[in-house]
Amino acid sequence: MPNEHTIKSYDDELARLTGEIVRMGELAATQLEAAIDVVERRDGRAALRVVENDDAIDALEHAISHDVVRLLALRAPMARDLREVFAALRIAADIERIGDYAANVAKRSIPLSMVAPVASARGLRRLSDLAAAALRKVLDACRDRDADKAHEVWDEDVELDDAYTGLFRELLTYMMEDPRSITSCTHLLFMAKNLERIGDHATNIAENVWFAVTGKPLESRRKKGDETAEPVMPRLGH
Amino acid sequence: MTDLAAVAAPIAPVDTTRNKIAVRDLDFHYHDFHAVRKIRMDIPERRVTAIIGPSGCGKSTLLRVFNRIYSIYPKQRAEGDVLLDGENILDPGYSLNRLRSQVGMVFQKPVPFPMTIYENVAYGIRHHEVLSRARMDERVEQALRAAALWDEVKDKLKRSALGLSGGQQQRLCIARGIALRPQVLLLDEPTSALDPIATGRIEQLIEELKKDYTIVIVTHNMQQAARVSDFTAFMYMGELIEFGDTEKIFTKPDKQQTEDYITGRFG
Repeated sequence: MPNEHTIKSYDDELARLTGEIVRMGELAATQLEAAIDVVERRDGRAALRVVENDDAIDALEHAISHDVVRLLALRAPMARDLREVFAALRIAADIERIGDYAANVAKRSIPLSMVAPVASARGLRRLSDLAAAALRKVLDACRDRDADKAHEVWDEDVELDDAYTGLFRELLTYMMEDPRSITSCTHLLFMAKNLERIGDHATNIAENVWFAVTGKPLESRRKKGDETAEPVMPRLGH
Repeated sequence: MTDLAAVAAPIAPVDTTRNKIAVRDLDFHYHDFHAVRKIRMDIPERRVTAIIGPSGCGKSTLLRVFNRIYSIYPKQRAEGDVLLDGENILDPGYSLNRLRSQVGMVFQKPVPFPMTIYENVAYGIRHHEVLSRARMDERVEQALRAAALWDEVKDKLKRSALGLSGGQQQRLCIARGIALRPQVLLLDEPTSALDPIATGRIEQLIEELKKDYTIVIVTHNMQQAARVSDFTAFMYMGELIEFGDTEKIFTKPDKQQTEDYITGRFG
């Protein structure tokens, strides 16, 4: 941790910003866990509550944007302070997206709960656990200014990608075996994609934590997992 | 001249331009007080170099060495070398007259001479050159234009300079400095007594002047250093702690002391 500022209220404002980020992140993690819970319990009413709760995350994002603008205007932060304020703004935007994805998962659970249960809904739990773990870990890294921990989150995203690809293949198999499952499997596919995207946003947060602490971009190429689920681009010309 | 470069590498910002001033192992004493310690730095030509640091860190002293203004006071001495275009200005053989015509200086408080606006600028020129009336008029106008003051004073050149506003007085001092067509312009806290609008004008002027002059500015206003300079040097307790691209110093300095100072975490 850096030394204290000569002007104490500056430290208070920076600490408040970090506090808001962590609180916003906790809220998103809770939303994510609630979303997978309503999927498993097939509880449409609870799903609606999760969707509505997303407003609280959006409100926190607004508060953070406001605080960032205020800090930039009134404190003119420099060097590490500047990087932290800049990172906070970007991290808040990533958490806001994570909240949206969690709400989307809950929303899609409603039509899913109206049809016969699909076995691979369980595969979603593993994806969700990985995404929530990544989110909580990167929030710890953010709170503790721990660049190494942030890097770990970044490295570990490959597990979530692999789990997503596995589920993608599984769902394809189901749909081929029984076309009546296409509706529910498509919902599940979208939900899986949402969870995979949450992992990507957690790695974005990791990149911003890394930058705030070290002043350098986290740029080494992440090793890519299986690309089955990647869209195939048609080759132009022959 | 000894091969100083071989003794120890000077601290220099990475830049392709040539260096105007090379400071080599400079020490400065005010009587018993060791104010500047073993400074080595290269100041690039036609760029703005800012020197920042807390009060008493030696930044103004360093600036004062660059035109030997200290030499009018007893018991102040500089040791080491300060090379201006390769020539050591600390060498007693380097005439003060010549040095002052090459290195102009502007101080914190504007100090116009108690004479007309015209004479304030012409005074220094007369000291160095003999010019016809018409040539002198030309030179005065050039200097006032370069200092972005001409339009405001062209109709009252014969009035006392003391009637000008603080910002105008400071630009008049800059005009006086550049009237001698120096190579280097030293600015010691040039805007600390000015309001934000006058400060903005001076900063704009600095940007224009760097096309022709090597500028070294000492400032307590970090935002100003960030705005106007290409390179920034951070000094602390008489030592040069870090010197580099302004952007780097204010976003990702290498030294913890620099970071603590610019983020307001000092002492």
